[in-house]
Amino acid sequence: MKDFAEYALDTCRNLGASYADIRIMTVKDEDISVKLGNISILELRESIGFGIRCLADGGLGFAGSYDISKEELHRIAELAVRIAKSSGSTRKKGIEFVDVKPITDNYTTPFKKDPFKIPIEEKVDLLVNVDRRLGEYNPDIIKFTKADYRSHSEDKIFSSTEGAYITQRIVFCGGGFTCMAMSPGSPPQVRSYPGSFRGDFSTSGYEFFESKKLLENVDHVADEAIALTTAKQCPTEKATVLLDGHQLMLQIHESCGHPTELDRVLGTEAAYAGTSFMTVDKLNSLQYGSEHVTIVADSTNPGGLGTFGYDDEGVKAKRVELIKNGLFVGYQSSRETAALIGLEESSGGMRADNPQKLPLIRMVNVNLEPTDWYRNEIIEDTKNGILMSTNKSWSIDDKRVNFQFGTEIAWEIIDGEIGQILKNPTYTGITPEFWGSMDASSKDDWRVWGTPNCGKGQPPQVMYVGHGCGTARFHNVRVGIMEGK
Amino acid sequence: MKQNKELLLAKSELVLKEAENQGASQAQAAISLIRMDLTRLANNIVDQNVSEQHARVRALLYFGQKSGAVEFEVFEDSDIKRVVEKAVSLARISPENKDFQSLPVKKEYPSSFDLGGLVCEATNDTTPELRAEYAILAIDTAHDVDTRIEAVAGFIQNISTERVVANSLGVECYEMRTMAATQLTIMARDGSEDSAGWSGDARRDIGDLRVENVARVAAEKAATGFGMKDLSPGEYEVILEPAAASGLLFYTTMLGFGARRHQEFMSYLRDRIGEQVFSEKLTMSDNALNQRLVGASLFDDEGVPHQKVDLIDKGVVKNLVYDTMTATKDGVESTGNHAKWWGPAEPIARHIIADEGKSSIDDMVSETKKGVLVTHFHYMNPVNPTQGVLTALTRDGTWFVENGEVKHPLRTLRFTDAIPRFFKDIDLVGKYSELLEQPPIGLIPGIKLPSFRFSGSSKE
Repeated sequence: MKDFAEYALDTCRNLGASYADIRIMTVKDEDISVKLGNISILELRESIGFGIRCLADGGLGFAGSYDISKEELHRIAELAVRIAKSSGSTRKKGIEFVDVKPITDNYTTPFKKDPFKIPIEEKVDLLVNVDRRLGEYNPDIIKFTKADYRSHSEDKIFSSTEGAYITQRIVFCGGGFTCMAMSPGSPPQVRSYPGSFRGDFSTSGYEFFESKKLLENVDHVADEAIALTTAKQCPTEKATVLLDGHQLMLQIHESCGHPTELDRVLGTEAAYAGTSFMTVDKLNSLQYGSEHVTIVADSTNPGGLGTFGYDDEGVKAKRVELIKNGLFVGYQSSRETAALIGLEESSGGMRADNPQKLPLIRMVNVNLEPTDWYRNEIIEDTKNGILMSTNKSWSIDDKRVNFQFGTEIAWEIIDGEIGQILKNPTYTGITPEFWGSMDASSKDDWRVWGTPNCGKGQPPQVMYVGHGCGTARFHNVRVGIMEGK
Repeated sequence: MKQNKELLLAKSELVLKEAENQGASQAQAAISLIRMDLTRLANNIVDQNVSEQHARVRALLYFGQKSGAVEFEVFEDSDIKRVVEKAVSLARISPENKDFQSLPVKKEYPSSFDLGGLVCEATNDTTPELRAEYAILAIDTAHDVDTRIEAVAGFIQNISTERVVANSLGVECYEMRTMAATQLTIMARDGSEDSAGWSGDARRDIGDLRVENVARVAAEKAATGFGMKDLSPGEYEVILEPAAASGLLFYTTMLGFGARRHQEFMSYLRDRIGEQVFSEKLTMSDNALNQRLVGASLFDDEGVPHQKVDLIDKGVVKNLVYDTMTATKDGVESTGNHAKWWGPAEPIARHIIADEGKSSIDDMVSETKKGVLVTHFHYMNPVNPTQGVLTALTRDGTWFVENGEVKHPLRTLRFTDAIPRFFKDIDLVGKYSELLEQPPIGLIPGIKLPSFRFSGSSKE
């Protein structure tokens, strides 16, 4: 493949490209889903191809193909340079990249058990058993059951005209289950484990999926779903809210991860995902949150879904501070966007979900650092509050200011103790006000959650990202937003 | 222009033959060739500019009620054989799916449907240089509208798709389609205030794409967006421009009319077929055979002919959309709505058409006592799908309307409301826009509602 890559880069150079890189990738997915006693997905997917990115006449061009032949490589290299030149014709100033040291290296995400080497029968059997146990738990009330598993791997080669040649293997897996309970006259209620939307994922190996112990968690999750059908409605009021891991990770994702992506800030995503309220003039001056809020982008976390050796520009994985003690101090950037605002280096967050997609700034592991609290201490320290768990719905505006989330379940906290279950919990807020109200985040239940469903870009791409967090407490939060009441 | 019908059919035949040789009781092959070029604008320049070419082979094999599915990006015969072998190995270890009875059998495709009319050579042959010309046209047009125009963002795109679906029961169909589309978000600045406007268009023939018109509409919205005020949350009349109505009606069909969601207790319309749920002014269908639609198509993702499905007739819930699996379970025929995307396949209405009325947006404004005029919504998601509760935010042009006049622009508003509540009453239905939309939207007019619940606003 090295010769193949060299040929592509030489072709681009000869056609006038001042810079070129090529990614040659094989992406594999193994998807299994068992639903209501039936296998509903048993599927393998594989994409093989390459993508060439180049700079010519000041513009950026990108083209890719599934056909890894020398003839197609030449055609696509020519097309990429032609696209770059036509792009450059609209620019007054050519694109510049910050420097990156060209590396030759090989990296694999660490794991003990390669998920693709575990027999599919073993995974199917587990899901069938989980689904069956859910279905048998209380058939009069549990009306819907589903158990999911997914393995994913990427084998990729990155080579550039600057001399980089990096081979990487990224592997992740995970899954979970969900059930829905109905009782007469009551709308359905859903509970999931370990997270909603197909579970939790990690770049650890199959041992991660095993550690989730799906079967052992069926009974209490089913109990919660049943209890929700007769639970009290989440009140409509201003409240102290505790968010635990699976909900807090999405809060971080939407209200800190996305608005600190420098391409959004600089307008590249203006027409689709939106821009950001965290503009360049606010860097190092905006009080984003309370002094207890420190958020980092870290692609080195063991097991994190946003963990890798090098990004798709050949930048080595690193840890970058975004929010330090409440102050907005950093961005997630690329070689191009870093240059545009005078940064010395990229944060190393450029990734594409497919060989034929242009790398974009994507979250890595964006983590809320723990403060010196244990989860139980936060609960015991809360006189009146609501503990919300497991994301159910989400929405945030194009500048990432006004958000609204719903969770599957909540519990009252009264005088430091967890009380009765509340159904249909929702909350809404304004990003800096919300993070400004955070006074505690726990260390004992801190871990990196993984979500493989982050959409961005046109053409659209879906990326896998991680978020480290424990349980955090926020004050004066508007809860119970249903139908605008 | 080269079409690859015979080649794709030969590849699908190879899948089916290999499956038969391996002992599969039933097999389905879906093979597609896709070229997608997209030029993305931001900050008045071409910022991203890409071209992709895909060949996808999907084999679905059954051994009785055991199945395996494999989708690989390959095209060589030897690779296709490998795809089938993988699918066989999966099917052999698969538990039985007791809901599976059969893949679809062969049905006649509507003879009046003009397959040739789905293809435009100019769209297929679009060059990066032509897209750059359109980009410059958009940028120049927007800046000519108002000196306060700050930045033009958006995309110009052309897609060519050829696909074949065939199965071992005699289903065999081919179509090629082309589409060109543009969407522009144009931002303006006046002193310290920023505003934005949006518009879009989609066509089969890139030569018909109204880039200049789209740029002008979006720029005019941005230029008239200064002097924004906040609006207190509450219940207001709302005037939904076609794009705003499209967002709401897409979720109306997505969450309510798919048979799978009914069978899994997840539809807000479960047990309400035949009931007057919506305003009698709302009549809606799904009809991929309407060739006026940019996304017109002859068959679904398992090769079943599309058909017109009446979803809502004068407010009454009429029919669900089905694929073969869900239709078998309910003892009915598939409506040709099988959609295979990431995750489980399910029947979805992907070509929705709401009957138009006679009102213009200006008519709706003049009939409004106290309301909000919305260009489109951002980040719409279900809060509670089984109750049809949605939330989203206004974006790129929202105005306060009082006593029949547009008074002033509004800062971002969030709505949280239930589909059966806000579509229960409709004041006015508009005419179709001259600008067309991409699938899953077919033809959707503007709509005025007497009551819509805004639950919050964006205040920095």
